[in-house]
Amino acid sequence: MRPGESAPHAVLACGEVRTCLLPAQQALDSRAAAQLLGLRADERVLLSERPNLYGRSPDILTGVDCPLPSANGSRVRAVGTVAARASLTEGRVLQSSAYFRVPAAGPDHRRPWGHYLVRPGVVEPFGTLPREAVAQGLLAGGRHGDLDVGLIAGGLLTRLLRHPLLDQRPPLKSRPTRLRWVALPADPGDGPSIERFTLAEDELRTVRLRVPEDTRSADVAGLCDDLALHDWLLTTVVRILDGIRLGSAPPPARPRPTAEDDRPPVVRALRPAVDHLLHLWMPRARVAEQLAPLWDVLEERPGFTRQWQTLVQRIRDQLTLHAIPSPHREVEPVP
Amino acid sequence: MTDAVFRETTAEPRTQAVPLSHLSLELGHFYMEDFEAGPEHLRHHFDRVRPWVEAARTVAADRAGGRRPRISTCFLIDDYFTRFSSPAELVPLLLAEADRAGLVVDYLARESACADAGKVPVAEAVAGRLVEEPPPGSYGIRPPATQTGWLANGERSPVARAPQAMKKATAWQPPKETAARRHSVFLDVELWSDTPGGHRTWSCPFLAAVWQLARLGLLRNQGEPVLVPHPHTASGFPEDWDELPPLIRLNPRADPFAAYRTCSVLPNRFLPVEHAVRVILDQTEVDPEALRQVTERSAREAVAVPDSVADRVSYVFYAGA
Amino acid sequence: MLVFAASDKGGTGRSVTSANLAYQRALTGDHVAYVDFDFGSPTAAAVFDVPGAMRGTEERGLHSYLEGDVTEPARIDVWRQTEHPLLRARPNQSGRLVLFPGDAGGGEFATGEDALERCADLLLRLHGEFDLVVVDLSAGRSYAVDMVLAATAHPRMRYVPFRWLVFHRWTRQHVIAASGLVHKENGIIKGGVDRGHDEQTLRDNIRFVRAAVPDPESPLWAQGSPAQAAWMQACDEALRRLAAEHRIGDSVVLGVVPLEPILQWREQLITEEDVLATQIANKETLEALEEIARRLTDDSHWGRP
Repeated sequence: MRPGESAPHAVLACGEVRTCLLPAQQALDSRAAAQLLGLRADERVLLSERPNLYGRSPDILTGVDCPLPSANGSRVRAVGTVAARASLTEGRVLQSSAYFRVPAAGPDHRRPWGHYLVRPGVVEPFGTLPREAVAQGLLAGGRHGDLDVGLIAGGLLTRLLRHPLLDQRPPLKSRPTRLRWVALPADPGDGPSIERFTLAEDELRTVRLRVPEDTRSADVAGLCDDLALHDWLLTTVVRILDGIRLGSAPPPARPRPTAEDDRPPVVRALRPAVDHLLHLWMPRARVAEQLAPLWDVLEERPGFTRQWQTLVQRIRDQLTLHAIPSPHREVEPVP
Repeated sequence: MTDAVFRETTAEPRTQAVPLSHLSLELGHFYMEDFEAGPEHLRHHFDRVRPWVEAARTVAADRAGGRRPRISTCFLIDDYFTRFSSPAELVPLLLAEADRAGLVVDYLARESACADAGKVPVAEAVAGRLVEEPPPGSYGIRPPATQTGWLANGERSPVARAPQAMKKATAWQPPKETAARRHSVFLDVELWSDTPGGHRTWSCPFLAAVWQLARLGLLRNQGEPVLVPHPHTASGFPEDWDELPPLIRLNPRADPFAAYRTCSVLPNRFLPVEHAVRVILDQTEVDPEALRQVTERSAREAVAVPDSVADRVSYVFYAGA
Repeated sequence: MLVFAASDKGGTGRSVTSANLAYQRALTGDHVAYVDFDFGSPTAAAVFDVPGAMRGTEERGLHSYLEGDVTEPARIDVWRQTEHPLLRARPNQSGRLVLFPGDAGGGEFATGEDALERCADLLLRLHGEFDLVVVDLSAGRSYAVDMVLAATAHPRMRYVPFRWLVFHRWTRQHVIAASGLVHKENGIIKGGVDRGHDEQTLRDNIRFVRAAVPDPESPLWAQGSPAQAAWMQACDEALRRLAAEHRIGDSVVLGVVPLEPILQWREQLITEEDVLATQIANKETLEALEEIARRLTDDSHWGRP
């Protein structure tokens, strides 16, 4: 056990994941991924090639001393460190993930900083933690000046996006998403469960979990990274299909095709999805064994993989139809 | 990772442990001008150090709970900021003067090894592990007063930034030590300086902080220990400082170099430097796995080790140069 | 594609015209961001009719973002948050239209190295998300112009295509001023070259928009005397010569927006409804805006003059 990983027990864990397309024309190979994710000179980047290409940076810490957001307006001050790390899947999807856990109670004064530094990713409350109110507050987002774990994830993402390895030529237009999560302890004897998965504003998703007390917060963060990755894939592909126009008239306002690119607009819009996104679907690839069953719930309802397969099929059908020369088509393809 | 049968070594970080003493006792930290002052200066230094060495041994024995405490001694020579003479000439002189005072130097280190230990850019790695102490009100955004290359023990005076047109400029405010008790002792430490040519010179306090982390057995590079002692097998010492190993074990029967705690016996002119070292150590996140190994090992031996890394370091400052 | 909207003087209709261009492009299906870098007078919210949505963005707008006080600037989804009844019914197949407002009450400020990096971060992020990014810049040789010239010369932005629109009214003073902003000392071209731009490339990516141009043929002037008509004709001729002498002649003009009475009264988006149903706006105005919007990405209008 790490110092601080043992006692006192965390009774609340929280995090936020940012997910975006890597702004580079070509996906990064393992070596380049290691360069991008090498946030520290002395720590290895975790690299894995099975079941897909994946790299993860070491954790870095950010110190905080501020109130925790809460739903009932109580302002509980807390001090400690928030851990953050970045990951890259198949050299194409970049994620930054910040997370921390909170024990049930702490002393009502601030301790020397060295105390907090040897408890990475722990934020200690002053006094007793009003757990439920803070859990709700964290998901809803706090007031200005409350602990904002999204800022830390966003700050890390900004740092990575400035890396000179990236040529800033993303192969398709897409929007980053945010997934904010909290995990509360499950009742003794119960397994982990997802209490709620909400698509909030355009780019925000919130997830409320119950996990057994001995679950590592890094593992919960890993599960949420996986959920965020697949939710982003669905969101992005749905938007690509939303954006294509039917029939043969090219949308007048899109950037004009270059002279050599005389493919139909539908093909031009769908092709990047095939080149860069369709092979990325692999739920549970890196989820801790104990938490993997949580995916089953989402597969049941709303059916993540079912939706994905439908989208993939639509894209393939469109491309197949457009592969047939126009004069031989009896009807214009309709997605 | 969910399949215990299949393994990928690059996906499973591992961290090697290092052997540990109870105490790492530093007998001196010499700059080239100290050597220039001649053998009398060395003799004077070791005479002053000896009684405190005895005291430190007694304290360590108390802490070891009756068992023989493992204590190793070390000496640091600065070859980073200035260079003088050669190891072949100076090291035997140093050892002879220590011996005359009844002291044994177990390990000898070069200061430049705290910047680059062989091929490992150790100072740069430690700089990457700084986690600034958040002043109250830090909610996740980077504080505006962050200065690259400097580290403070509190909040700096706000920078007089040109305000937006027709907005009021903010009035001067004093700097503030975060852990202050009523009044501040604010310290701002320069960690390095860069030449226009891009060459970085690490500051003396920063290298001294690296030196403390090495002695506490908390430095790793990609899981491998950094500054591993090199046995001294040759009969003499080389003519060039670069040919001297970064850390050399002079006493073959010495206890391990790294230890649960450190103590340094230094003249009091080092006081400001060591205050700065504390500010740095207090804001350095050491390798968690290395930290865990020390915690585990000390618990097995029933030796109390403070949580906070900075609290594992102690000093004796003697009067005069 | 980034489009920077600049003008030497105020009152050129730069903000309202560029907002209308953004709107027109969104109607045709593009995802469009409108970025308010008019730091001294951040009022884009009025054009898009989103005053309500501005509440709560006082400390989260572009001023706060560039000064590092927030990491993400506030964004306003125009279709969803506008109080304009016609806009709220987002037309089918239209793209997103998102406004990035300045801080309400924000002022001009000196931009430093950090603001420049954050500006590049923002423009790159928007470029990755939107088909078109319209950036409205403070008038004259402003910090805003300076910052985006430096940002677009940044190595990180080397592959991001950008174009400049310089707005001016059709008067002697405005023609001379617009030319000065682009061609004279400390102008966009010289300043851009100093910051690392290639002169020819930069020059090729600047076009002019003549705004509030009275059309002598228009019914507005039909009541005038023949003498007045002749005088207007002569003025127009003289201005054309003046513009050509100042290197802002017809070959580098992307479009002409006629004098539009409703825009003289109220800065607003001109909808089809305004032209067809209520007939408060002129058909010519809407057509001019549609045409300029189309030409923004039509390379045949961006060849070398």
